[in-house]
Amino acid sequence: MRELFPMKQVNGFIFSLLLTIIALSVYFMDMSFELGMTILLVTAFVQAAVQLVLFMHAGESEDKSSIYTTVFYGVVIALATVFGSLLAMIWGYL
Amino acid sequence: MNMNHTQPLEYSTEQNKMNILGFWIFLGAEIMLFATLFTSYFVYENRTGNGPSGAEIFEITPVLFETIILLTSSFTIGLAIHAMRINRSKAMLVFLGVTLLLGAAFLGIEIYEFVHYYHVGATLQTSAFTAILLTTLGTHGAHVTFGLFWGLFILMQIKKRGLTAETANKSFIFSLYWHFLDVVWIFIFSFIYLKGMM
Repeated sequence: MRELFPMKQVNGFIFSLLLTIIALSVYFMDMSFELGMTILLVTAFVQAAVQLVLFMHAGESEDKSSIYTTVFYGVVIALATVFGSLLAMIWGYL
Repeated sequence: MNMNHTQPLEYSTEQNKMNILGFWIFLGAEIMLFATLFTSYFVYENRTGNGPSGAEIFEITPVLFETIILLTSSFTIGLAIHAMRINRSKAMLVFLGVTLLLGAAFLGIEIYEFVHYYHVGATLQTSAFTAILLTTLGTHGAHVTFGLFWGLFILMQIKKRGLTAETANKSFIFSLYWHFLDVVWIFIFSFIYLKGMM
């Protein structure tokens, strides 16, 4: 039974629950918008990294540089699309 | 077939390795798909017209349940792959089954949520905000629905054929997909729900 629950994955799961609880603090506690967004950005990206490296085994095969490149490229385009659009369409007119 | 026994079963043939790499490239494209949805969401977030705003219609309890259920299912699919690698096919099937049940529970809550939105007057045509909200949530929900059927078919195939290089490869790729859906949900949870209720 024990060998079915490797420490690495159990710890990763506990860590991801912990990150969720930290993210929830922005709802249950009174804080400024800036502080809340900072907490959410940190917890979401750390959570994504935990999934990618721990659970998806991104770095285990010989193709790992191609895998990290394609994910990194996707994330760069994603961030450019999101923040570029916000800059052009929302923040620019404040 | 060219078998390499120093690596896990799902990597054992050249075709298997290519399938896994190819799926990662697909996931890169999926990241960009959801990025465009998030972009539209952030742009239209405050364009509520005569409809309700996020703070008025979001409920923390179902969202919290959805998050914990999906996180747990991401954990159990990880355990399924681990069981597969130590050649415990029975345990693997149990973990895969639990994952699919949790996925179905998630979907049930999401459907409840959509009915709730409909009842409080937030439909696809109410405002720019409700349209992009339901499109983003719906795209993720459709991915989960697709994953449920995909996982179910893999489960049946392993029952029939056992763990082979082929079924192990399919299971591993399915686990990548499922983890990815969890990652997308974390961003929906953080930047749609929690940000909206802050």
